[in-house]
Amino acid sequence: MKAAKRILGVAVGALMLGASSVAADTIKVGIIGPFSGPFALQGKNFQAGVEAYMALNGKSVKGHDIEVIYRDLPAANPAQSRALAQELVVKEKVQYLGGVYFTPDAMAITPLLTQANTPLVIFNAATSAIMTQSPLVVRTSFTTAQTTTPLGKIAAERGVKKVISAVSDYGPGVDAEVAFKKAFEAAGGKVVEAIRMPLNTNDFSPIMQRVRDSGADAVFAFLPSGPTTLGFVKAYNETGLKQAGIKFFAPGDLTQESDLPALGDAAVGLLTTFHYAVSHDSPENKRFVEAATKAIGSADQLSFPAVGAYDGMHVIYKMIEATEGKQDAQKAVDAVKGLSWTSPRGPVSIDSETRHITENIYLREVVKGPDGKTYNKEIQTFPNQKDPGLATQ
Amino acid sequence: MQTILSIAIDALAYGMALFIICIGLSLTMGLMRVVNLAHGAFAMIAGYIASYAARDLGLGYAAAILLAILGTIVISIPLERLLYRRIYGSTELTQVLMTIGITFCVIGITNYFFGPTLKTIPLPGSLSQPVDVGFRTIAAHRLFVIACGLLVAGGLWFLIEKTSFGIKLRATVDNAAMADALGVRTQAVYAISFTVAVGLAALGGVVGAEFLPIEPYYALRYMVTFLVVVSVGGAGSILGAVAACLLLGAVDTTGRYLMPDFGNFFFYAAVIAIVCVFPRGFFGRAG
Amino acid sequence: MPDLAGIVIIAAVGMAGYWLFPDNLALLTRIVAVALLVLSIDLVTGYCGVATLGQAALFGAGAYAAGIACVNGMTEPLTLVLIGAVAGAVAGLLMGSVMLRAHGLAQLVLSIAIVQLFHEAANKASAYTGGSDGLSGLMVSPLFGVFAFDLWGKTAYLFGLSLLVFVFIALKFVVSSPFGILCRGIKEDPIRVRAMGAFVFPVLLKMFAISGAVAGIGGALAAISTQVVGLDSVSFELSANALVMLVLGGLGTLYGALAGTVIFMGFEHMVSAINPFHWMTMVGALLIGVVLAAPSGLSGLLGTISRATTRGKGGRG
Repeated sequence: MKAAKRILGVAVGALMLGASSVAADTIKVGIIGPFSGPFALQGKNFQAGVEAYMALNGKSVKGHDIEVIYRDLPAANPAQSRALAQELVVKEKVQYLGGVYFTPDAMAITPLLTQANTPLVIFNAATSAIMTQSPLVVRTSFTTAQTTTPLGKIAAERGVKKVISAVSDYGPGVDAEVAFKKAFEAAGGKVVEAIRMPLNTNDFSPIMQRVRDSGADAVFAFLPSGPTTLGFVKAYNETGLKQAGIKFFAPGDLTQESDLPALGDAAVGLLTTFHYAVSHDSPENKRFVEAATKAIGSADQLSFPAVGAYDGMHVIYKMIEATEGKQDAQKAVDAVKGLSWTSPRGPVSIDSETRHITENIYLREVVKGPDGKTYNKEIQTFPNQKDPGLATQ
Repeated sequence: MQTILSIAIDALAYGMALFIICIGLSLTMGLMRVVNLAHGAFAMIAGYIASYAARDLGLGYAAAILLAILGTIVISIPLERLLYRRIYGSTELTQVLMTIGITFCVIGITNYFFGPTLKTIPLPGSLSQPVDVGFRTIAAHRLFVIACGLLVAGGLWFLIEKTSFGIKLRATVDNAAMADALGVRTQAVYAISFTVAVGLAALGGVVGAEFLPIEPYYALRYMVTFLVVVSVGGAGSILGAVAACLLLGAVDTTGRYLMPDFGNFFFYAAVIAIVCVFPRGFFGRAG
Repeated sequence: MPDLAGIVIIAAVGMAGYWLFPDNLALLTRIVAVALLVLSIDLVTGYCGVATLGQAALFGAGAYAAGIACVNGMTEPLTLVLIGAVAGAVAGLLMGSVMLRAHGLAQLVLSIAIVQLFHEAANKASAYTGGSDGLSGLMVSPLFGVFAFDLWGKTAYLFGLSLLVFVFIALKFVVSSPFGILCRGIKEDPIRVRAMGAFVFPVLLKMFAISGAVAGIGGALAAISTQVVGLDSVSFELSANALVMLVLGGLGTLYGALAGTVIFMGFEHMVSAINPFHWMTMVGALLIGVVLAAPSGLSGLLGTISRATTRGKGGRG
């Protein structure tokens, strides 16, 4: 009797397994990002990364078709973020959530994940603390502290003694200021002054005047990519700081590739650290850039969020593979802990403790290519950097 | 002393750039009584045209400015005929609804056709060089913006105070029905004023692009700044707009130099203080 | 009891939303929270004639007060709503006492300046508000100790809907009271009201406090149901959007505020789901279309239609 039951159970199990691997079921993935509004460019890059991945790796995993549903969240708005995530999970029945550009939006989704039995793969939102909010979060982007920390050593090595820091007055800006100060002072330098500039600053010449007055050898800057970056870099050139030999260090947000055409020659010589440059020299990146450019429509628009999305899709595909298409968030997340692969940005892995990506950070210099266009040229590599913000916790 | 002068000249340039963009809005709001929140959208359209003309067609800076102004006006004519004419004389909130709608449409369409990246308008060599003004170097472009601002202020003052069109405009503003009865073609006066305002927005959008870079969200991003400047100056007053731009430019620039961390507090605290003292703006028209 | 029929309709529409869209309750809850904000603008703009582009300052005051209280251990939802209402009312008094010094355009600009200052303050006080990262980690206790605020959002929506109906009833009493009628009088002709011997400033300030309490309740509801409070809740953008919704629905009727919110947010949700990249054009077209078809807002259109039909009937009879 017992044996018969067991046989029946195995048979039913086998039948179900067979059914699930044969039937062309559809697994839905919900992507939330800023597809319109002031950050539309970054959202477009999410989409390009996702589409590039699916174009290169197929639209199905082990016979499960993948369907991506995009939802627009134009600016940081936690209430809307929660509503979109809830709708995607409850109504659209997505098994995976991905995307998310801003930290508060991620914070609004994390409380839902356990009940929803859905993992969240973050393509961008860069504050360390998100990872501690739920065990079902995995991140394939970077944190500001992670990309900034190597700059401290670099600045000191290049003979800089005194730095003035000027960052936008919001979460990531403050993260950058703190991370740089810590790294630079550990390397023996001194941050003589730290300025926090309101996000809506349009004219940066007074800030440059302050930089000049401070007597620092270099300026460390962080601003969100986009229009303010342009104003800041122009003011640095126009007020003669560049000619005066005051060096310029920043995380790579400032010289994202899609802003470089607008910055033009003003950007030449800027030193930034980041996890990804479109110019990265590897066969993986070549394939990625080709596919992503096709997806986004114009080479000028391609930027770092695309690679976060691309690797995010890689993680989601691996999760689907491990769970055989069944909805089991914990198993899916466990399956990618420690996962390592070669991303377009170089070798990466998911830290099994923090679920945050471990990656190389590159020092890049903006140089002019043979075609007259400027690009980020990688000149130094800091391998296998973890997020210092999470490591200390 | 050097620092003070240096900040003063930066403030002057920034203030003048704001002035060129905002004065058109001040005219529409003060003289035509239309709260045109889509004003920034026209400035942005001009920026796109200028960028296209200079980068893709290879035209010179002056030609690009001219083409941008003409192009923006051409685009604005059907909008004036079909949409704005319906809201002359409507309540302000209806005008807000309509012009916000227009702004949303312009943003959506620009994003669709031109993509979300920043667009620049390449400056000619003579304007992109730093110029030595004795105590420091300043970008020649900033001096050009200051000159443009003074020119616009003078030209407008002449147009409104000294020409027969100015007389008709002021008559229409004071009492449209009476002006109509006296043979002023008020409809035409409105159309011309609207065109002038759009042309100024276009000029401001192009020459101010070094301060306020051109991208699809431009129209909404700077809407608050424009509204605040116009209201502090007093809608419809050229002198008021000049004063407001210079003062707010100075407060903004000095605040950001002295205490950058609290730059916004300075700016908005100044706005509240000014409005409490001058409830109609510096030189607002009564009633 | 004023307008019993209308209140029944609101409750019925709310419940219909619950049955028809059981998978979108978080969106519906968000609409309810914003509807409270739009109602609060109607009180000062529609009934008192004070246009404001800074009402989110009051909404945000309620949201942050409830959020901070919750993080510090006051997790009972009704208490949080009360805290939000009080904070909103206090902020309303503050805002009113500044804004009522000016008129017209200057007043509008004061409202913008105030909401920007609130926004800056919330950004600066990141130790309490979380700054731009948002105030997260709100663990709200179950309502009445039984109904938890969960993924499906049933509790949050029904709680929000009850709050909305309750607030609506209260506001109906307020606007039809002698005080409410005096406000309308001030809107029509402040000089005459002053000549009749009434003090304008304290009357309007009182309305600002009530309006602040309503906005604060909306903010607290948003905080409770989202479990995160972001800087967007004290932004100019939210204020402007809410004013647009009010004008869309029609000023000065309370019903217009609700209709405008539901139509605007419903439409936005729909078109942004269909095309997440270029939906803004559609929303813009909706606004332009409404102005061309119904310059006094949708409720004004309804009023015109109903007047026309009754007149038609009268003619025939």
